[in-house]
Amino acid sequence: MKILVADDSRVMRQIVIRTLRQAGYDDHDIVEAEDGADALAKVSSEKPDLVLSDWNMPNMTGIECLQAMRASGSAVPFGFVTSEGSPEMREKAATAGALFLIAKPFTEDTFKEHLDEVIA
Amino acid sequence: MTGFPGSHGDTGERRRTSDAPVLITDLLDQETVQSIAQEAWSALVGDDEFLVPLPGGPPDDAVSSWVEIVGPWTGTVVLTCSRATAEELSRCLLGEHAPPVLDEEDIQDGLGELANVVGGNVKGVLPGPSVLGLPEVGNAPEAGAPADTCRVDLLWRGQSLTISVQGSAGAPLDQ
Repeated sequence: MKILVADDSRVMRQIVIRTLRQAGYDDHDIVEAEDGADALAKVSSEKPDLVLSDWNMPNMTGIECLQAMRASGSAVPFGFVTSEGSPEMREKAATAGALFLIAKPFTEDTFKEHLDEVIA
Repeated sequence: MTGFPGSHGDTGERRRTSDAPVLITDLLDQETVQSIAQEAWSALVGDDEFLVPLPGGPPDDAVSSWVEIVGPWTGTVVLTCSRATAEELSRCLLGEHAPPVLDEEDIQDGLGELANVVGGNVKGVLPGPSVLGLPEVGNAPEAGAPADTCRVDLLWRGQSLTISVQGSAGAPLDQ
C-alpha cells in the first residue's frame, strides 16, 4: 500500500510517518506532499492508496484538496491529521468525503483506531 | 417566508461596540493551558517529557512561535523559549530523523508546529466559530492588556518556556 502524507511542516510529516511505523504500519510506501496543491498533484502522479492530510496549509488547504479530488472523480480514501478537531470541522470533513479526522496531538493508538479498517 | 431577523429563533441579541469585550481570562485558566501543552509534549516530544509550572526567567536569546485565533475572542497563542531550547525541542520532534546539525528551517518548523498544536487545542476550548492561522516564528507579537492575557511560565528539562494566550495589542478594552 502507498500512503501519501501531506503537511506543510516537514517535522510533522516525520512525526506522522514515525507514528505510522509505531502503530505497526511499517511495510508501506510513503510519499510526502508539502501542501494541498502538492498533494493533489501527487494523487494523480503517485496514485496512493490512502491520503493522510493536514487541514490548514498554504497554497491549498486539506479540505480544498479533498474537494478537488472528489470533484475530479478520485475516490482515494482520505483522512485528516490536524491540530483542530471541532465538531464543525469533523462534519465538514465527513461531508467532503473524509473517512476520519485525527486531532493532534495523537498517539499510535489513535492511528490504529482509525486506520485498522482502512489498511488491511 | 423571508421575515425580518429575529422572527425565526433569533433572540435579537446583538453584540454592540459598547458591550464589554471578551477577555481570555474569562474563557481560559492557566491549568487548562498547561494541560493542553503537557498533552502535546507527551505525544510529540516524548512520553517522559514533563512541563513543570515554575518560572525560569526570560531567556537571553528568546525565540517565539505563534498562531493567531480570530473569532469571538481574537488574539495569539505564543510559545517562547531560548534558541537552544527550540533546537532541542525540534531534535526531539524529529527523533531518529534529526540530522547531526539542525538547520534553521527545521528549528523554526518544529517550534512553529508546537505552537500550532497547542493553539489548535486552545481554540478548541474557546467559543466559536473561530479561525486558526498558520504558525509563524520570530520575535513575539506585542501582548495586549494584562487582563486579556493568560500566561504560564514553565520549565522543560530545566529550561524556561512560556506559553502566552494573549489578546491582540490595541484591542479596544476600554470602550
